[in-house]
Amino acid sequence: MTPSLIPALETHDSQPFDLMLVPGLGRLFRWRHARPVLQAPLLIISIAMILHGLFGPTLAPKNLATTLSWLHFRGLLVLVLLSAGNFFCLACPFMLVRQMARRFLKPRFNWPRPLRNKWISVALFALILFVYELFDLWSSPWWTAWLIVAYFLTVLVVDGFFKHASFCKFVCPIGQFNFVASTLSPFEVKVRKQEVCTSCDTKDCIRGRREPSSDLVLIRGCELALFQPRKVGNLDCTFCLDCIHACPHDNIGILSRLPGEELLTDPLRSGIGYFSQRKDLAALAIVFTFGALLNAFGMVSPVYAVESWLGRLLHVRHEAPVLGLIFTCFLILEPVLLLGLAAWLARAWSGVRRALLPLVVRYSYGIVPLGFGMWLAHYSFHFLTGLYTIVPVTQNAVASLGRPLLGLPRWTLTGLAPNFVQVIEVGFLLLGFAGSLAVIHGLAEDDAPEKPLRAFLPWATVCLILWLASMWLIFQPMEMRATLMSG
Amino acid sequence: MRAGRNLLASAVISALFVFGCSRAPESSPVITIEHSISPRPARVGPVTVTLQLADAAAKPIAGARIVLEADMSHAGMSPVFGEAKEVAPGQYQSQVRLGMAGDWVILLRATLPDGKKLERQFDVRDVRPN
Repeated sequence: MTPSLIPALETHDSQPFDLMLVPGLGRLFRWRHARPVLQAPLLIISIAMILHGLFGPTLAPKNLATTLSWLHFRGLLVLVLLSAGNFFCLACPFMLVRQMARRFLKPRFNWPRPLRNKWISVALFALILFVYELFDLWSSPWWTAWLIVAYFLTVLVVDGFFKHASFCKFVCPIGQFNFVASTLSPFEVKVRKQEVCTSCDTKDCIRGRREPSSDLVLIRGCELALFQPRKVGNLDCTFCLDCIHACPHDNIGILSRLPGEELLTDPLRSGIGYFSQRKDLAALAIVFTFGALLNAFGMVSPVYAVESWLGRLLHVRHEAPVLGLIFTCFLILEPVLLLGLAAWLARAWSGVRRALLPLVVRYSYGIVPLGFGMWLAHYSFHFLTGLYTIVPVTQNAVASLGRPLLGLPRWTLTGLAPNFVQVIEVGFLLLGFAGSLAVIHGLAEDDAPEKPLRAFLPWATVCLILWLASMWLIFQPMEMRATLMSG
Repeated sequence: MRAGRNLLASAVISALFVFGCSRAPESSPVITIEHSISPRPARVGPVTVTLQLADAAAKPIAGARIVLEADMSHAGMSPVFGEAKEVAPGQYQSQVRLGMAGDWVILLRATLPDGKKLERQFDVRDVRPN
């Protein structure tokens, strides 16, 4: 190889892959009705889930609501986030209903300034995890159906009163989950050439395009206040394609990138600000990660022993206070203790010149890969071991009408063998662990260029503890009870 | 948008039609089925399900065919099937292997000697790990 060829090869290699240039796919995404077309099937499935949940079999494994929600939706969600990006927000059925409702309901208010952060959604995220355990949503088609109904109603109320995508940005717990996880996705909606944006006068990607005479919106700009030229990463991006449709220069693509790269840097991000100044985002990252372990802990045998012990200790027979105590320990005390101690050690040992809290905030993003690894391990286990169950459940739903058009239910169809899936789970956990170490090492090198190892080790120890806890969890015998306090 | 509204309306109507018209399981109040499980409490592994069938006059029903299906309360877990054998007049027994700790539900599908079919389900809560 001649030296003159090297720069040319490097230039070629650094060109990101653009999904918009894939034949067919790019054309679909450029089509202005692409989103409703992708949303419509999910809306129909959601309606079927609600109706089957309310009026169908009461047994969770026989019902579309529970099977689709807790096996297939969650499993596919994390796998698509890992392999592509936030495409579930793109196809979100709630937004299709909102869009239809906005034909009649014109929102008049802007989302209140004090609430323009993630605190509400962090609380809702934790609340959903709590309610999931308290009411055993996984075993109740009826409650699952009502959860979906509640979601639709909340979307309508919030986005009926407030302009733009207030629900997505400030309320939706699923959306926040997707935003955080998509920081590790390999694709990002991004400008292709910055210089094109520099010379752009209209900024349609954020402003949208209006009919000059009537002020009618022809094409929306970003409803989540992400100005493409200054957008960094996937956080808060719903992949709604509005910016792609609005850009008059066809300068926005869905570009490949290094997953997790956005967690390593702290530039000023459009619509977000600086990561290091967002305590609410750090709290979201913490609940995302520690919640991943907690959610898996709720499905293994030791949790019942812990609950019974706590119940006896506190002389309570109701589950809520005991569960509340466990949640407080896992989502507040444990992170405060582990991250606080790591920050204190890193400061004392490496001489990092940051106060304790800003240091915790900064490194909280480093544990996101670990958390995502745990969500992947947990949800892919249920998804893959129950992969084919959707077949008999659908057959049964159709057969219950009187005519088994899809044949009689084949209940023996389940999924992949648990032993095989466990290998995949370990792979996800290792991937998450490696990702967290890489992010934390990058941050430590920035913070303490002289002594990066000393800044790195305390946080790496936290990652190791969480990873070992995750490994322990996936090898625990599973146990699914709706009667936590009985034992 | 009109097309979208039509699509939504059609989806709601068809889904209501589809699931609103489903038939409720047949109930046979005059037939009683008593069940017992051993060991108590049930543990992961084989458990014996004993069923006692009787008519309205408490007379044992012999000659029925009973198929069992045990499901976890969580979707996605493999169900377990078994057939109950008559061990005494009106008394049937089956062994099923419960593969996981937690709450199970056992579904019974019985065909009575007169050809009448009935379904029942009962919970087996708190199956303990080994």
